[in-house]
Amino acid sequence: MQNPYVPYPVEVIKIVTEVDTKDIKTFRLAFVNKEDEEKFKYLPGQFAELSLFGKGESPIGIASSPTNPGYVEFTVQKAGVVTTALHEMEEGTIMGIRGPLGNSWPLDYLEGKNVVVVGGGFAFTTLRALTQYMIHEENRKKYGKITVIYGARTPGLLIYKDELAAWSKRDDLDLHVTVDKGDENWKGREGFVPTVCKEVAPSAQNAVAVICGPPIMIRFTLPVFFELGFSKENIYTSLEMRMKCGIGKCGRCNVGSKYVCKDGPVFSLAELDKLTPEY
Amino acid sequence: MEKRLIKKEALVGILKKIGETSTVFAPVRVEDNVLFKELEPHEEPLIDYLNTKNAPKGVFFPRTEVMLRYVRTPKGTVLKGVELAAGEVVLFGVRPCDARSFALLDMLFDQEKYKDPYYIAKREKAIVVTLSCHQIPYATCFCTSVGGDPVDSAGSDVLLTEIGDEYLVEFLTPKGEKLAAFFGGAPATAEAEKKKEEVSLKAKNAIASRIPAQEIKSFLDANFDHPFWDTIHKRCLACGTCTYLCPTCHCFDISDEMKYDDGRRLRNWDSCMYPLFTKETSGHNPRPTQKERWRQRVMHKFKYYVDNFSAIACVGCGRCVMYCPVNIDIRKIVEDISKLQ
Repeated sequence: MQNPYVPYPVEVIKIVTEVDTKDIKTFRLAFVNKEDEEKFKYLPGQFAELSLFGKGESPIGIASSPTNPGYVEFTVQKAGVVTTALHEMEEGTIMGIRGPLGNSWPLDYLEGKNVVVVGGGFAFTTLRALTQYMIHEENRKKYGKITVIYGARTPGLLIYKDELAAWSKRDDLDLHVTVDKGDENWKGREGFVPTVCKEVAPSAQNAVAVICGPPIMIRFTLPVFFELGFSKENIYTSLEMRMKCGIGKCGRCNVGSKYVCKDGPVFSLAELDKLTPEY
Repeated sequence: MEKRLIKKEALVGILKKIGETSTVFAPVRVEDNVLFKELEPHEEPLIDYLNTKNAPKGVFFPRTEVMLRYVRTPKGTVLKGVELAAGEVVLFGVRPCDARSFALLDMLFDQEKYKDPYYIAKREKAIVVTLSCHQIPYATCFCTSVGGDPVDSAGSDVLLTEIGDEYLVEFLTPKGEKLAAFFGGAPATAEAEKKKEEVSLKAKNAIASRIPAQEIKSFLDANFDHPFWDTIHKRCLACGTCTYLCPTCHCFDISDEMKYDDGRRLRNWDSCMYPLFTKETSGHNPRPTQKERWRQRVMHKFKYYVDNFSAIACVGCGRCVMYCPVNIDIRKIVEDISKLQ
């Protein structure tokens, strides 16, 4: 029996500070044992427990796509005990990851459809994984039009800036990056994500929206999509809860009778409607 | 399935013999309490008792257990070993309600996809010897309302039922049959089995406390928001006693502990009654007050577990009723809900 509580050892091979406030970093981790990478077969939308012996564990969405083998990436905001310790780590350190955990973005369902990816702030991580996955050369033909709308409060708070610059040059991806308020160097769009969604007005025809962001963004973005004609079955999001075990045993991340860790974190709005509003 | 008859007075001797090769857990009087604990060489198990204060779930799911150990090295802190320690264990004198809790916990810890190796390792090595209830029960006993009964065999490997000055010993599983040699005795007679039925019926009728536990499911399905949820929690102290004594409560926390270069990861019982249980690093708490926590406790036992495993996560032992410092009574909650339908 595989012990799901034992983390795989990984080496931190690259750390990127994503934002000018320096409290969001992306950690690139490589498996110490090659066979562990085989066991850690994941899909975009899944998460893992980042495990720091002596500190604890923290459930974080996987920010990389399995189409980029050899490593796994996590973008982490410095907030609690574990993430603060993580932020103090240097390249070359050995740590652990446990997973992959949870379901994934509905990749099969998205096939043959137009996909609208909407992200706000630092909640763009598993959406980046999804986008990387869909635009990978072997996968791109499976999906229709891909629209990505991504916003942050300021230009300095946008994550994955180099990747966004590369995506903006692609003709098979309709990218709209916005900030609430620009600075003197900002030449891009200004405006809140819901407003930009309204302006871009992606068609609901054969389309699915995948939305992640702070609650306030979600609250104002959903009505825009309903107005555009998206049904609740065709809007997906990902939930976060306090977690420990990650496999539906420790009892704290349930929303109604579903556990976010193993039945989620990805739910359609139609599925969420059937659950209790306790998250 | 083998059935034997043994003399009542032979039981303590049989247990002593079993104790020579296995660790035995049994009810023991400790000061004013009857506790379910490991039997020390100088201790005798209690035979005449109603139930233990603590639930025997702690044998498989201890209050604190080491999950793994690690050590600091120049390159980082790395795994040193995993602790799945489990020797042969015999649990003697488990009551049928508590034995049933093992069957309920198995559903969670031994699921098809996600197995909990710590629980399973201990459970597989353990033989559960249950003592049927035949005496006048506690006023707080309500096993018959949640699918159990005083002579129920669910979760047991061996079931002992007192009939006169003898025990009818039923070996229910291959694991239980391993103990047959220790018990010896005579083959059970048809008369003894008939007597057991009488004892069983009498014991069932003696459980006076009855609640409509199965009937409230449809109300719970439809009433996550209802003024009733404002009426339970106000006197709750959030002490967690109900969850710690509950044979089916299984929530836990995982924490790390380090001393110099050596460390360990532990799992400890946790409780949905505690404010921190669901509080996130951001400060957001999906269950911000005791009201939501109580709703969670009731829903988990009588709806969520039923949704997921088709079983109520309550065995009717009455411990939470008996030991709540402010007299919150789950039976009254269930009854009150049934009147709302």
